[in-house]
Amino acid sequence: MSLELKPKKWAGALRQVTLGAGSRRPLTVGGGNGLPLHTFEAAFPHRPLLALEITDVDPVRWVESVREVWEGALGRPAEAARRGVEEFGADLLLVNLMGTHPDRGNRSPEQAAADIAAVLEAVRVPLIVKGPGAGQKQNQVLARVAENCGGEGLALHSATNEDYKTLAAVAVAYGHVLVGESPIDVNIAKQLNILLADANVDLNRVLIDPLTGGLGYGLEYTYSVMERIRLAALSGDGMLNCPLVCLVGEEAWKAKEARVPAGKEPLWGNQPERAIHWEVATSMALIEAGAEVVVLRHPESLARIRKQLDSWFDVTAGGATCR
Amino acid sequence: MSKIIASAAIRGGHACVRRAETALAECVDRYGWDKDVGFPSTAYALPVILALTGKRVERLGDLEEALGTARSWLPAEPTERLWLPYLGGALDAGAATLVAQEAIEALKPLRGIPSAFDYWLGPTADGILREQGIKLVDGRMPGFAACVGALPDDETAEQLARDLQERNLLVFMGSNAGGETMAAQLNRRGVEMNWETFLVPYGPDTSSIVHALGFACRAAFTFGGLKPGGIKETREILLYNQRRVFAFVLALGEVDDEKYATAAGAINFGFPVIADTDIPEILPSGICTYEHVVANVAHRDMPARAVEVRGVKIHTVDIPIPVRHGPAFEGERVRKEEVAIEFGGKHTRCFEYLASRPMDQVQDELIRVVGPEIGDVPETARLPLAIFVEVAGRKMQPEFESILERHIHSFLSEPMGVMHLGQRDTVWLRISKKARDAGFRIGHLGTVLLHKLRNDFPAIVDKVQVTLFTQSADVEALYPAAAAAYQSRDERMGALTDERVEVFYSCALCQSYAPNHVCIITPERLGLCGAYNWLDGKAAYEINPHGGNLPVRKGDSVDPVLGQWKGINDFIRNASNGSFERFSAYSMINDPMTSCGCFECIACILPGTGGIMIVDREYSGQTPVGMTFSSLAEMTGGGQQTPGFIGIGTLYALSRKFISADGGLSRLVWTTTRIKQRLGDKLRQRCEELGRPGFYDKVADETVCTELEPLIEYLAAVEHPALEMGEMV
Ligand code: SF4
Repeated sequence: MSLELKPKKWAGALRQVTLGAGSRRPLTVGGGNGLPLHTFEAAFPHRPLLALEITDVDPVRWVESVREVWEGALGRPAEAARRGVEEFGADLLLVNLMGTHPDRGNRSPEQAAADIAAVLEAVRVPLIVKGPGAGQKQNQVLARVAENCGGEGLALHSATNEDYKTLAAVAVAYGHVLVGESPIDVNIAKQLNILLADANVDLNRVLIDPLTGGLGYGLEYTYSVMERIRLAALSGDGMLNCPLVCLVGEEAWKAKEARVPAGKEPLWGNQPERAIHWEVATSMALIEAGAEVVVLRHPESLARIRKQLDSWFDVTAGGATCR
Repeated sequence: MSKIIASAAIRGGHACVRRAETALAECVDRYGWDKDVGFPSTAYALPVILALTGKRVERLGDLEEALGTARSWLPAEPTERLWLPYLGGALDAGAATLVAQEAIEALKPLRGIPSAFDYWLGPTADGILREQGIKLVDGRMPGFAACVGALPDDETAEQLARDLQERNLLVFMGSNAGGETMAAQLNRRGVEMNWETFLVPYGPDTSSIVHALGFACRAAFTFGGLKPGGIKETREILLYNQRRVFAFVLALGEVDDEKYATAAGAINFGFPVIADTDIPEILPSGICTYEHVVANVAHRDMPARAVEVRGVKIHTVDIPIPVRHGPAFEGERVRKEEVAIEFGGKHTRCFEYLASRPMDQVQDELIRVVGPEIGDVPETARLPLAIFVEVAGRKMQPEFESILERHIHSFLSEPMGVMHLGQRDTVWLRISKKARDAGFRIGHLGTVLLHKLRNDFPAIVDKVQVTLFTQSADVEALYPAAAAAYQSRDERMGALTDERVEVFYSCALCQSYAPNHVCIITPERLGLCGAYNWLDGKAAYEINPHGGNLPVRKGDSVDPVLGQWKGINDFIRNASNGSFERFSAYSMINDPMTSCGCFECIACILPGTGGIMIVDREYSGQTPVGMTFSSLAEMTGGGQQTPGFIGIGTLYALSRKFISADGGLSRLVWTTTRIKQRLGDKLRQRCEELGRPGFYDKVADETVCTELEPLIEYLAAVEHPALEMGEMV
């Protein structure tokens, strides 16, 4: 007996969002008109992108086994950027301006802008620029970065429901992409996009960050919210059809299972290897749920995920058709 | 539009365009058509002309074209006999005036006239626009005031400037009144004027005020991403300003033709005019949000009146009280030994009463303590207190009074060292010695209410006035009005039935963890968390139309007994992502509403009794169905329809529509003592209405039994009606 496939056709498709402009080599995500990876019934003009996270200051709380691979580049964003792209093969980078946080060094907006300028100088890939978390400081920092790096098509991370007006205004004014972050909540994701559209932000320049839980720490919530966002998008909801970005590294490496050394939990096995599994497993689940940009910390995770994606997608010029 | 204003504006427009044409001709004579013209350090050429005509003016030749366009907008000057009562004409003249004024300003350097001198700053560079304009757009600055003319004296000028600064408004100054200027007045008072102090003097000519509009246009280009172009684009730029840039014009001193014409220009942007002189008023007619021209306003009242007319919403970031405050202090108790002063409880009368008033009957920010303050009485004194809050708002409705009033509790719990319990006339309030020593006064209760109400309910509250009565005679005098209001609200709420309204409200707040769940809130069935009733839904929608609560039209009735309507079912299908086709408002058996997880209580059927039980979240013991609340919750929650199990808000038990399709309250055979206490007399009353004498006492609770067998015996012994009603399924 042969199995007859009845391809499902949807009313809508994802928007296509292009990251990077100006001196960047731009990359586009989104555009798929079916459920994630349903390559047998839908078309996906672009493959998911893999980003590595780098930081402006030494991320002292990062786990040793991830710090090791970045040795010599921690807290040196330009160097880290070069390594991330040239050695580790990241499609793009997320620059986490953690050092601008008032409790983590309180670096000034000008210093942050200089850091981003140095990274832009060092590599040609698109950047996601992450501020220290919603609030006045983040607005100051990202507004300055946005202004100084006008026209580079940076993805500013992130606008929230309560605090989006400043970032919306600078994204519009200086030609950047805006990441809207919602707390694992489809309604807030939609509401935020309505607000952004109302603030004259072009939704073809918006990514949704649904907020990620690591494996074992609420991943399933994120998974089902992403699923719902995707279903709404495919049913034609123009306010939810932006591509999704997931900051996996941060969450996966927070998990106890990724941090505890084998000495303490002999049954859990070798920690560095276990941690990479954790990051990879979290990512794969989220890619299946529809993540279009996945941000990672460990280059080995990136390599493994890339291998899997390569087996699913043709590796043609920046984008992809499905095998 | 007033004929006087229209005629003056049109005359002013003609005069301005003529002046610009003359100035242009003079410059062309001297430099030729190709000479560059423009403001320094801007990428937007002449921004007002760019916005209004879509054309970039870079050379004198371009300016000629722009003035030609302006001239074509000018209607004929009205004469005694020729009069077209046509608002559009005056507005067109206003637009033409702005074009002419910008031309005059741009030509100044070519004619050897300085733009920036003394304290006058002249046109604004893009750098400053980027720095400051964004504040207008993202709301850090609520708006700007364009002050045209001068005040009667220096002191009043300073007062007005300070009042505007205090509200965080950007102040632009330009023009003069009989040669006197506001900026000169401030200068004589030693007031610093620059972009840091938000006091920006453009120039002593009326034409200089066009820079304020240029600022607004550039904000729309930069931060609104709007592009100049044709009529459609111009309209969008004007609308953007109307919706987002909360600006207004203060006409100070005598208003001449050019000022009328400039004002008409500003009205195109939705910026209303507030005047201190007796000029004709233009009340609502469609371009500004509310009134267009309001006259005869005293200087002291100008900022407040302007803010009100423009619909500027002021958000206070730091509430000015001498103690820390925030939700973190909400549960805090002030113990007996710490009390500085106390109101209510068992000792004195203490109540809170919030009433809505027409806009002109509330003086915003007026806070009064009538009677002794905290320092006037000995420590640990017990005083009576009436907290009398009067609010006004363009969108305020009397129905919202009770919602706002209910928030007084959480607002007054927030300051550190203030304890607030109860509501309405059961309030018990204490202020601690520490708070008093830090400077907290009774009057600060009003400060907190003022700012919290305005911050949290900007859509419905524009003005707040608070009076705190601390003398027995006043408190008693006000009480009957408050008591009558409580009663009439309850009656109104009681009379509000599902049949009498056309819309119900949905609530999708819980979809984050129960993705297909949605509550339908009807007047007679509140949300299952107990936190949202129909009025709350209505107010929430008014406050934020993009939020989790939406109005849903009932539409045609599908089944009046089950409580199904076509409109609701259609909505449910969509909102539940296709998971459910139908909801019954009045049945727990047929198509019951889904339950997310935050229900106050669970109602479930008790096989063998013909009845149901209701168990509350706090009850940790065993129930006759053989499950604790938490195991029941697992079966009931998650956004599923589980016939026989529903999550409910406790108060739903009192509703006449409580599972009315399944037999109603008469089915209740067991509940917890906590629920009985909470519902108290109201439950007794409802039981009596059932027409079954002694019913209340037949409902068992955990003190009677916690298992099914003894319960059935008990029900038989007391002859509970459910036994005869037959099984529910
Ligand atoms: S339980 Fe309450 S908060 Fe949740 S959806 Fe229902 S009414 Fe809204």
